[in-house]
Amino acid sequence: MTEALTLPAGFEDLGQFAAVWGKLETQEQRYLQRQHGTMAELKAFYDATAPRLNAIFDHLDKFPMEALPPPEALLYRTALGLTEVAMAVEVFGQPCVPYAPFPHKMAIEWSELSPPLAPAGA
Amino acid sequence: MVNIEEHMTKARDLGLENDRVPVEYYTSAAYFRREQDMIFRRAWLMVGRVEDVAEPGDFIVRDVPPLKASVIIARGKDGKVRAFHNTCSHRGVALVCQDRGNALTFRCPYHAWIYRIDGSLSAIPAEQDFPHVDKAANGLAPIHLDTWAGFIFLNFADEPEATLPEFLAGLDTMLDGAPFDQFPFSIQVSDEIDCNWKNLVNAFNEGYHVAVLHNKTLRAAVVPKDNPHLHYLDIKQFGPHSAGTVPRNFDYDPQAPALTWVYAQMLPTSAPDVAAINEGRAGFYEHPGINRLKIPNFGTETITIFPNISIQPLANGYLFYQFWPMSEGRMRTDVRIYSRHAPRTLREEFAMASTLAATRDVVVEDMAMSRLQQIGFESGGKKYQQFGQNEPLLRMFTRDYEAYLAGGGMPRQPDKAEAAE
Repeated sequence: MTEALTLPAGFEDLGQFAAVWGKLETQEQRYLQRQHGTMAELKAFYDATAPRLNAIFDHLDKFPMEALPPPEALLYRTALGLTEVAMAVEVFGQPCVPYAPFPHKMAIEWSELSPPLAPAGA
Repeated sequence: MVNIEEHMTKARDLGLENDRVPVEYYTSAAYFRREQDMIFRRAWLMVGRVEDVAEPGDFIVRDVPPLKASVIIARGKDGKVRAFHNTCSHRGVALVCQDRGNALTFRCPYHAWIYRIDGSLSAIPAEQDFPHVDKAANGLAPIHLDTWAGFIFLNFADEPEATLPEFLAGLDTMLDGAPFDQFPFSIQVSDEIDCNWKNLVNAFNEGYHVAVLHNKTLRAAVVPKDNPHLHYLDIKQFGPHSAGTVPRNFDYDPQAPALTWVYAQMLPTSAPDVAAINEGRAGFYEHPGINRLKIPNFGTETITIFPNISIQPLANGYLFYQFWPMSEGRMRTDVRIYSRHAPRTLREEFAMASTLAATRDVVVEDMAMSRLQQIGFESGGKKYQQFGQNEPLLRMFTRDYEAYLAGGGMPRQPDKAEAAE
């Protein structure tokens, strides 16, 4: 990933989170990142993104999903971090699933029926 | 109004007296070897869906861990789906190295022996040096294959003791026409865990643990006030297979902001689609073999197919779990979330990724507990584990497990002499 870390206009304040979550390409990586975060880090990310999901997706809706420009792709990858962080913040109140080994890796594979979707999948 | 208490099937209702089970079944290498020979080489084993090989030439490669088998499943030009051991007739190489693809032929990368998609041997380079090899008799080694409801099953016996319909023993009849094919899109999550595979089989066969272990993940959504230990209802037995009805809370209304946002984009697989139910288009909910009691707060029908499958049909798809032993103390869990379609928008993709994370974390809770259970078993302080009256399916599984290990378990076939009379 050689893209510059540039977010779309209006989302520049998410830059510190894009530097962490925007680099990740797969759900496996996001799951591991969540486990390695502190609760304070995860909560800061959650507080910055969860209330803005509508704004984020209203913006992303303007682009074809399979051809997001680099700033929008970065914003989307950053937002996808919330799929993991919400479990830590809203459900468990801790980064890891209780009693699970640490770190815990799980292989995830999205089926290859069309259209193939890289961002959340493989 | 259904009286729920009446339908909380107890072990005694099914005549299951085996209230404790030797820990040795879960820790001994000798038991694992018997499982390989007496269960996994005899039972029909589910390995995929016909949609995985939808077109002629489509193939997938799957492994069957307890047998160390590598299997090619391919749809021929004639439309027939076949299975073969992934091994070249020449020097044994596992010749197909892709997980999936579409091909007319398979070419061994070692010496370029070539096989057709139907498994027949097509060409041997320098064939004059193999005058002893009859090409017609040296195709890829076939494995017995049959399908039910779009699920592909294999049988590794030389001659299966029972056909697939005989093996399914009526479960197939009850679920005849269930709309699995309406949910072709899947996401698979896999993990290997240091525990016996039966720990996970058992975890999916009782609801007693849900309010405790899944206190933060599932409890609010699925444990109703009138069934606080989530007793499975209306348990049905089909040979070694079973089905039980599980309720959920239709008034569950998550208030967490991110979760609420996800629900608004696309309902998770497990959440009841009330509009679809009311309009009679909620997939499995309409099927007569599912929720026979017609409980109004129906959640899922937990369907167990011996030895290692659990399927949970839901309003927006179904969940599929498979538990593969690798040794007596290690196993692989495969979880698949099946949906109507691939995500069509980024919002749907985000919602599906969220559902994936949530579903995975519930299974991680089960796997974490199964690992702790194995540590406890292997510590050796207990010779038995206890199965309650409210864990009838654990007793049932154990009964049939023992029958298989003893050489029975399969539907009895009339022998050839009887059949000839």
